Amino acid sequence: MAEVVKKQGIKEFITSIPYNKIGLKDLMSFEKTPRNIIIAVITFAFLVSFVVGVSLYLIHGHHAYNVTREHPWGLLIAVYIFFVVSSTGLCIVGSLGDVFGFKEYEMISKRAIFGSIVTIMAGFAVIAFEIGHPVTMLIYNVLTPGFTSAIWWMGTLYGLYLTFMIIEFVFLLKHDMRMARIFGLTGLLVGLAAHSNLGGVFGFLNARTISNGVFYPTYFILTAFITGIFIAFIMMGIRYRLSFPENAKKMLTNLAKIQGLLIAILIFFVTWKMLTDIYGGMPNRSEVALHILGTWTFWAEVVLAMAIPLLIILKSKGSAIHAMFWASLGGMVGVFFMRYNLVHDTQLKPLQMMKVREYQLAPEWVHYFPSAAEIMISLGGLGLCILLYYVGTKLFNLDAETH
Amino acid sequence: MARYGMALDYKNCINCKACEVACKEENGILMGADKHRIWVGVKEIKGEYPLLDIVSSSFEPSQCQHCESAPCQQVCPTNATYYDENNVVRVDPDKCILCSYCMNACPYDARYVDDRTMTVDKCNFCSDTRLARGETTTACQATCPTKVRTFGDLDDPESEISALLRTREHFSLKSHLGTKPKLFYLT
Repeated sequence: MAEVVKKQGIKEFITSIPYNKIGLKDLMSFEKTPRNIIIAVITFAFLVSFVVGVSLYLIHGHHAYNVTREHPWGLLIAVYIFFVVSSTGLCIVGSLGDVFGFKEYEMISKRAIFGSIVTIMAGFAVIAFEIGHPVTMLIYNVLTPGFTSAIWWMGTLYGLYLTFMIIEFVFLLKHDMRMARIFGLTGLLVGLAAHSNLGGVFGFLNARTISNGVFYPTYFILTAFITGIFIAFIMMGIRYRLSFPENAKKMLTNLAKIQGLLIAILIFFVTWKMLTDIYGGMPNRSEVALHILGTWTFWAEVVLAMAIPLLIILKSKGSAIHAMFWASLGGMVGVFFMRYNLVHDTQLKPLQMMKVREYQLAPEWVHYFPSAAEIMISLGGLGLCILLYYVGTKLFNLDAETH
Repeated sequence: MARYGMALDYKNCINCKACEVACKEENGILMGADKHRIWVGVKEIKGEYPLLDIVSSSFEPSQCQHCESAPCQQVCPTNATYYDENNVVRVDPDKCILCSYCMNACPYDARYVDDRTMTVDKCNFCSDTRLARGETTTACQATCPTKVRTFGDLDDPESEISALLRTREHFSLKSHLGTKPKLFYLT
């Protein structure tokens, strides 16, 4: 009997979640401005490319990717990291209002938490086609868990994190702020643990001296916050079409100031990482660091995700929120390169077991460029992200409650 | 129950690659340059004639080091990589999810993807074949014409490998990483 009551209670709880009843027609009924049409066409193209990319993968398996024995992790791993970093970042930004009680950030809480759900789902969609046997993973992650594996902790904690984020979002929709705070705090802590474990996946690689150590587990949390603020600017810019109301202006100005501090810390981190990597000429580390300094992708990361946003923030003391919207779009491109670089740079140096027949000549650097299938699935992940977010804006009221 | 290891008198290697062929034949390994369970590394002669540095040239047969503290085993999220009863580092293909973490974590580049099962594979000291039949040699050892390889139980003080390691100086590859390899290079 108690079970029936409990079931009815859950049913009532779910059916009372406030949402808008929408159909396909409602989804298509957006304002047909050139900008909106371009975004719609690009999103559709991304989704088509996802289908094509996945089809190529299903036909050819991992041979559809340019990953090799020497470079087993490719673009899809980088894109997965890109999405989960975005998710963790949005969770941090969303928590400012509804977990930590900073009133002025409450207006973005619901939107950011929804964004965190959407981005991690896009990440899972991408990684599902990189992991060779995702179903086996679900089974043996539970049956024979590898507790010493950072990937096990990362994956398990991210699964829990997604659950908590969904529950928090439901309570936010119901405007039950007490429960939202409880689940929000739990989700935030689990998310941070998951995210630092993702850094640990690289930090634990004793064989790869460029990545080994404490740097990545902490750097991931810092860059997640930075990414979250970039996306907050993008989401609010699109929501208000760059005509921000006073409260949004105030919030974004404050976020920009926080962003300035975070980027300054990031520059400090990266500078010292590079200096300590190069200093002393440690084999397998200093030459890799010097090689990284000579790649355009590293400088794309520095210019787009660090230099331009920081200059705008410093020059305007955080008040140039229009400029920050555009800098945030560029910043996300920089963040993408940040993720791609860390995955690629980890594997740059051959392990030097002198396999001359495999390499012909021992290569100085391992080369990798993503295949068409990898690029298509990655763009598809972005398409999924945009689509899910758009559906969310129609389905739910993502603005703060006015009462 | 044993603690299998291998000693390599690598200076005897003549780079005939019979070990690679025997390994592929015994264990049904796919052909292809990136499907090596074992390989012979080649250090080229340095310098220019007539000042050739002939001691710089050597052949270095290698494979999975069957580390006692194997990074590949530690990073495996599903425990697909495990130590068997003979302390051999093995892969259970049913549990492998092909996340490739082990390939990145192995300092010895000893792992590759088997295209038939799409799981990660590596040398297992012929555990599925010769050891399973009750033999106590590996294919690479049995075929080596210059007796580079000596395979045996490190816990048995009477074994040939134990005697070799007691009487010959030896080193391990990348020992500074703390992996405690069970492949020993005799000097």
